[in-house]
Amino acid sequence: MTVTELHFITVAEAARRIARRELSPVELTEAYLQRIGAFDDQLQSFVTLTADLARRQAKAAEAEIKRDGPRSPLHGIPYCLKDIVETAGIRTTGQSKLLADHIPAEDAVVAAKLRGARGILLGKTATWEFAHGGPSWDVLFPPAQNPWNTAHHPAGSSSGSGAAIAAGFAPATIGSDTGGSIRGPAAACGIAGLKPTYGLVSRRGVLPNCFSHDHVGPLAWTSEDVAILLSIVAGHDPRDPGSADVPARDYAAGIDAPVAGMVIGVPWRWFEEEAPCTPETRDGFNAALAMFRDLGATIRAVEPPPMQLFNDAKKIIAIAELYSIHEKDLKTRPELFGASLRYRIIAGSLVRAENYVQATRVRRDLAMAMQQVFTTIDLMMLPTGEPAGKLEPVPHSSLFTDPSYMTAFNVSGNPALSVCSGFAANGMPQSLQIVGRLFEDATVLRAGHAYEKATPWRNRRPALSRPPQAAVA
Amino acid sequence: MPPEPATRREIDVLARRAGLNLTDEHFEELVQAYGYVEQMLIRLRRARSYADEPAHVFVPTKFVPSEA
Repeated sequence: MTVTELHFITVAEAARRIARRELSPVELTEAYLQRIGAFDDQLQSFVTLTADLARRQAKAAEAEIKRDGPRSPLHGIPYCLKDIVETAGIRTTGQSKLLADHIPAEDAVVAAKLRGARGILLGKTATWEFAHGGPSWDVLFPPAQNPWNTAHHPAGSSSGSGAAIAAGFAPATIGSDTGGSIRGPAAACGIAGLKPTYGLVSRRGVLPNCFSHDHVGPLAWTSEDVAILLSIVAGHDPRDPGSADVPARDYAAGIDAPVAGMVIGVPWRWFEEEAPCTPETRDGFNAALAMFRDLGATIRAVEPPPMQLFNDAKKIIAIAELYSIHEKDLKTRPELFGASLRYRIIAGSLVRAENYVQATRVRRDLAMAMQQVFTTIDLMMLPTGEPAGKLEPVPHSSLFTDPSYMTAFNVSGNPALSVCSGFAANGMPQSLQIVGRLFEDATVLRAGHAYEKATPWRNRRPALSRPPQAAVA
Repeated sequence: MPPEPATRREIDVLARRAGLNLTDEHFEELVQAYGYVEQMLIRLRRARSYADEPAHVFVPTKFVPSEA
């Protein structure tokens, strides 16, 4: 599939062409709406399409740009939002029967910022139920499917967002990540997705999953586009208790700076001994490291605490907070939850106060240990995970049993980016996770960008096609 | 020595004390899930001093009304 079609344009390129008056927001918006209409029945990435709104916004943007020029790098450019991001006047369901008719009165902070940047809202995308339970077939909408192979899942919980970007339904989206929910779909769908430093992006107006681990962040085809989106949505929000009071900055500025001289740490033990990855994934990771060596970086082994401890601390904190969020509905209308989410909420009901405090004490130790590791390196790299498997029901207990290479950085709060690092033998994307020091999100994105420029993976898109029509007798 | 895993009866008592009135199906979900939770709690257990603070500490300045 050629990457020159309009719907495959990046945010950066669209912004350049719009600024030169070579591309109309109306034309661009229509290209996405037509593609969604033609192919999203195969992927089910959108749960609410705001076509009329998008066309109105595009027309207004076109007039504004003609008159005054673009006001932001997103002016006139379409985007979509994970359906846990509240949007004023537009239903926000969390993919749950509990919120089937929920129409927020106010935008989430990120939604307001993207609207203020004059982006074009195409609609809301599929998520696991309340960003936690999935994949589920017993919730408000069916699960999204992977555009690289529709028999495969796009991971979760930002499943629709990941699928939509890869499929060319939108160039930009916002998701959330509590234990890998941006990075997992980014990895599965072969795109870039950033879990920013904890507190960099306001969580206000985003349906909570776990207060202590929720991160809101961008997904897009490239790291450069992610950087552009981050520049728009990042910033202190005094009404979000977890918001970091750090100055706003342009995360795309300096993104072309070389990575030569950087020291990259690799926690080999995590994915070679504790939870071994497949030989194919390890080979792909080694190839990515070799590329960074070629770019002038130095690689060394690092020894953070065991991954299991990060996972255990995270899960105890997560299910206790999850239960506190959904306690009332669990007690009064449990049948409205999907089974996957209900299983996880119920588990949290018996976490005692001393268990929760103990988990947060362990969290403190782990966070300190991780930041100590980062005093000796500039970046940490490891696989994000295995390529996406088949879309099929998984045991509810997989939350507790499946290891994750991503969770540690929700516990520590470090920025973590997933980028496409090639393709497995079965054609599914492979992925590389790039982690940085706290608030050095720009460095992480710079490394992702350097890697993408040095490799051919951004030239390959999934091929969507219509099945042949059945012959009429 | 770690405690014995909670029995079904004990889980039932704990659930009722938590205010949960579960169907048979949901109770079975809880019994299974709690088995995994207990294993995580055991792995997280360790000796602590009195002064061992949690990661989530109250910072009162976060709640000062903003001037905006």
